[in-house]
Amino acid sequence: MSLAALLLLACSETAPVESASAETAPAARTRTLTVAAFTTPREAYGKTIMPAFAEQWKAKTGETVVFEASYQGSGAQARAVREGLKADVVALSLEPDITVLEEAGLITHDWKAGAGEGMVTRSLAVIAVRPGNPKGMADWSDLSRADVDVLTPNVRTSGGAMWNVLAIWGAGTRGFSGVTAGDEQATIDLLRGVLARVTVMDKGARESIVNFEKGVGDAAITYENEVLVAKASGKQMDYVVPPSTILIENPVAVVDTYAKANGNEDLARAFVAFLQTPEAQAAYAQYGLRPVDESQAPVGLPQPTDLFTIEDLGGWGAMKTRVFDKGGAYDHAVPTGR
Amino acid sequence: MKGPLLLRLGVSTWVTALVALPLAVLIVRGLEGGPAAFLEAVGGQGVRDALWLSVWTAALATLINAVVGTAIAWVLVRWDVPGRRFIAALVDLPLAIPTLVAGMLILAMLGPQTPIGAALSASGAAIAFARPGIVLALVFVTLPFVVRAVEPVLEELDPAEEEAATTLGANSRTTFLRVLLPPVLPAIAAGGVQTFARSIAEFGSLAVVSGNIPHKTLVAPVYILGEVEAGNTAGAASVSLVLLALALVLQPLAGLLARKAGGGRV
Repeated sequence: MSLAALLLLACSETAPVESASAETAPAARTRTLTVAAFTTPREAYGKTIMPAFAEQWKAKTGETVVFEASYQGSGAQARAVREGLKADVVALSLEPDITVLEEAGLITHDWKAGAGEGMVTRSLAVIAVRPGNPKGMADWSDLSRADVDVLTPNVRTSGGAMWNVLAIWGAGTRGFSGVTAGDEQATIDLLRGVLARVTVMDKGARESIVNFEKGVGDAAITYENEVLVAKASGKQMDYVVPPSTILIENPVAVVDTYAKANGNEDLARAFVAFLQTPEAQAAYAQYGLRPVDESQAPVGLPQPTDLFTIEDLGGWGAMKTRVFDKGGAYDHAVPTGR
Repeated sequence: MKGPLLLRLGVSTWVTALVALPLAVLIVRGLEGGPAAFLEAVGGQGVRDALWLSVWTAALATLINAVVGTAIAWVLVRWDVPGRRFIAALVDLPLAIPTLVAGMLILAMLGPQTPIGAALSASGAAIAFARPGIVLALVFVTLPFVVRAVEPVLEELDPAEEEAATTLGANSRTTFLRVLLPPVLPAIAAGGVQTFARSIAEFGSLAVVSGNIPHKTLVAPVYILGEVEAGNTAGAASVSLVLLALALVLQPLAGLLARKAGGGRV
């Protein structure tokens, strides 16, 4: 199936004629593809991937593609699309935000069917530290030390912050960071210790790392790509990969209802397929994200001893109930003392 | 008088559509789950801590601006201080800059990476990402309200009354308390209500300055944002209703206070 799609892509001249059998081949026209994305891959899309796709599409069909891209926090983006932002394609930080659009009846196809199972990029939850790691951070448990001020965004406002909490939750329940495997109470205590050291809970992951760049805190729970991007732009920071951490996976999907209404289904599908190509995957990697296509992964990136996925923890549904819902583990871990 | 009638109709329609309608939607959304859902939404420890933090920091900011704002107005009206016009223009500036920027300015001056901020947090009296920062941001953002409410009233006052009191042997304290303050109190109360209402609703600067730690530095409007972002709009509306009710209750209270003090209406 995907081979057939690739062949179609390759036989570029004939593909549109076949699909538009009765119609005459469209004259060179301009089409607008609306993409609603979370903020992290902004540069990868805007500077590399979108221009490359537009060029390829033009060569194939003669049509000019103009991208209208919107970037904001993943949760806010999902809500905006649900409330009527007519995006053809969404690129979000985490699967539950896609689920929101499925439940709203906007995404109706099996978006996990294609290559990468719907995911286009990956990253790791890591600990950003000051240059040279002066506080000697090595593991999640170090974040609860009294001499360490920690930054992490608010899980209520930042979907991405959930990855941070799940990284600690997973590390604890899987028997790392000084917790016996399966001991949920001890994991909650570990999480409480870390949360007690949090001095700023920003609205989003980006605000959080910007605050860290400005000199707030000794450590920030963030994603590897945020640190790599910051370093690439000359900011002074390092990062530590704890022995056990979570593999972050970011999904992309065609928003069926809107793509259909916009007459953009073919274009949207082609764009999503393009994101799995080595070219697009390499572009993500260039901006600090880990590609899902392992062959495009930069060499020399640190690997944790125990890298787990959300599926290893039981999936998003189970984790929402167990950790994030009212009365869940997170609520229990938030220190209520002054 | 057809013209004025149309005008009145137009004005009331405008105000209804602009203010009353959205408020009605808010009330409906806040109460749509029934009393049990409302109580659940506003009864948790997290909400109560956030609401209480918003209320007391707003009250403190109001108190500070009631005193300082009145003093500023008095100085601006009564004395020809150098740069008076400049100061008068400065007073209004907090309303003209996005409050988010106000928060960033406070961080730029007092954040932990600044020398002052570092010294403050080393001595355990941090302002940024702590409760004093919340109050400071509120005092800044709401500075003009009391000043602008009190100023015109002071201008109306006849300096001769003060002079008469002094001539009759009243010391400056008595003159202030018995002659100057009573007619100004309603204006202070009116400005104070505005200050308080604006403070409990303040979002932009506090989201940046406060640190947003639940139970410690998370104020109600930022808590509400969390509920919205988490998809709990009904819960968010419920908490907003509490803030709205607080502002509404305060309005007549301030009027009562002013009347008791012997002043006019608010």
